[in-house]
Amino acid sequence: MTAGGRPGFLQAVRLAGRDFRHDWKVSLCLCVALAAVMTPLMVLFGLKSGIVTTLQTRLLSDPRNREVVVVGSYSLDAAWFAALTADPRTGFAVPRTRSLAATLDVRAPSGKAEPGLELVPTAPGDPLVPEGLRRQPLAEGAVYLSQSAATTLGVVAGDSVVGQISRTVSNRTEVRRWPLTVAGIVPDSLFSRPAVFAPLAFLVAAEDWRDGRDAPSANRLFASLRLFAADLDAVAPLAETLRQKGLEVRTRAAEIESVQLLDRSLTRVLSLLLGLAVLGFLLSLGASLWAAVERKRRDLALLRLLGFDGLALALVPVTQGVLVAVGGVVLSSLLYWPSAAFFNATLAGTLAREEFVCRLDPLHYGLGVLLTLLLAVLAAAGAARKVARIDPAESLREI
Amino acid sequence: MEPADRTIVLELRDLHGQRGDFRLTVPGLRLRAGQALAVTGPSGCGKSTLLDLLGLVLRPAAAGAFRVMGQDVSALWAGGAGGQSALAGLRAGAVGYILQTGGLLPYLSVAENIGLSPRLLGQTMDRGWFDHLVTQLGLQDHLKKAPRLLSIGQRQRVAMARALAHRPPLVLADEPTAALDPATADRALALLLGLSVDSGSALVLVSHDQGRIAGLGIPVLSGVIGTAGEPVRFGPEAQA
Repeated sequence: MTAGGRPGFLQAVRLAGRDFRHDWKVSLCLCVALAAVMTPLMVLFGLKSGIVTTLQTRLLSDPRNREVVVVGSYSLDAAWFAALTADPRTGFAVPRTRSLAATLDVRAPSGKAEPGLELVPTAPGDPLVPEGLRRQPLAEGAVYLSQSAATTLGVVAGDSVVGQISRTVSNRTEVRRWPLTVAGIVPDSLFSRPAVFAPLAFLVAAEDWRDGRDAPSANRLFASLRLFAADLDAVAPLAETLRQKGLEVRTRAAEIESVQLLDRSLTRVLSLLLGLAVLGFLLSLGASLWAAVERKRRDLALLRLLGFDGLALALVPVTQGVLVAVGGVVLSSLLYWPSAAFFNATLAGTLAREEFVCRLDPLHYGLGVLLTLLLAVLAAAGAARKVARIDPAESLREI
Repeated sequence: MEPADRTIVLELRDLHGQRGDFRLTVPGLRLRAGQALAVTGPSGCGKSTLLDLLGLVLRPAAAGAFRVMGQDVSALWAGGAGGQSALAGLRAGAVGYILQTGGLLPYLSVAENIGLSPRLLGQTMDRGWFDHLVTQLGLQDHLKKAPRLLSIGQRQRVAMARALAHRPPLVLADEPTAALDPATADRALALLLGLSVDSGSALVLVSHDQGRIAGLGIPVLSGVIGTAGEPVRFGPEAQA
């Protein structure tokens, strides 16, 4: 009938835009009303997402949250460890010798000595070892010291020390010494006690020598182990598996659970708020668009008289609803970003770098925008129906 | 007076219209391109109802024949949604409307209001024709203004330009000068008649003002209220 497919669709959209601009005071009010609902919601979601993400990042950044601490002494064989290592939930596992035997006296070149340092088995991939050193195995005669041990001994990475253990055989004390190199320091935040991290073979040799065994036994049993889950979600199930095998274990599951609980409760509260806001937005925009059709009935009837299709004119409130949504989104975004920046700046003291109090995921932001546009179209449905039913003859009557 | 080989724009026979209890009938009417016809009659005789019928916004109760530019209007009214769409298309392309007042969109400039129908039809405005309309109607200095800034007389002239912009075969004018003072009204009517001829449009001019109509020298269709219960009959009136 006319150029460009259905008669008047494009023209109806254009006229809706012109009307929206002409009536800019009313349009602005609608956009402001939408922004007034949207901005606090965006800030609340931003806070929720920022706080939960920060807490989760903190949980993740501290490997001790993935640790499953095994309490007590057991008899664990190679097959048991093989099964555990094969479990995808296991991140890092290394056997421990008996804790009573796992001590080492250490002497620094300066003469400072520290008796009975805790001897901790380590292996490549140990989450407590600094990132740069973690991958490669320790060289022969190399150990890591915990920060507190290094401080007491007055040594730094690269220094040499002497390790010493002793045993009593027939009332005679025998001593064995190893020259050791400090390959790295385990930070205080990850291990606060004074300790020496050494390869398992070193601990095994020390234990064997203390027990008076000269040849290593073929079917060695280990008393315990150091274990880290692959990720936060694996901690609780991995611990449960060990409990079922009869081991007593401790985890930081409660802290992980509390963050997850916070996430869930905040999501629930905010979903309720979101639902109320959506309902309010639908009703208020729907009513405004409906009222606008009522106000402009004669203009719309004139367009019907001039030959605009009823369906094409139904696009007028739909277009205007979408314009309100776009305006509202722009306004609320303009208000949100400074608010978020303000929160992040004022609360920066409690945060590490790269951490946020208020943060919206771009994906969530995009989904929010899309939802707003869809709701605007939905809100316009009633008004659109009303427009499509306007009788063109109404324009010929005096009102 | 008019050459008989001109296109027949409007043709009807035994047209019956009804709105509520009110009924009217037109035994016959034929209008060619460039012809003008006045419709008059006492208040309440159904001029508006007849205009709604001719304007394709009121469904005829019955019709022996009802054609606009050869299209069977009764068939379109019976044609459901497709027919409604076709009627809207016919209104857009074949008919120009001049209302008693208003009929302009407040959010478009004068020039944009005039260009409304061509735009809807996907046509580019014929510059020469546009300039002719604007000059004849004295609107040159008002093209960029919003309608609300114009006087009532100026607004009616914009409405005339808007109705004629796409050179529709049929122009329907509903008391176009009712809101104007007598001198302005005479000038406006003369302009409308002249521009309709320039446009090649058939003009149906509805007016209750029988004195002014008589002075125009065009055929008149007059509504006569019969005895109670009989439909109003619109028939030709002997020319003065």
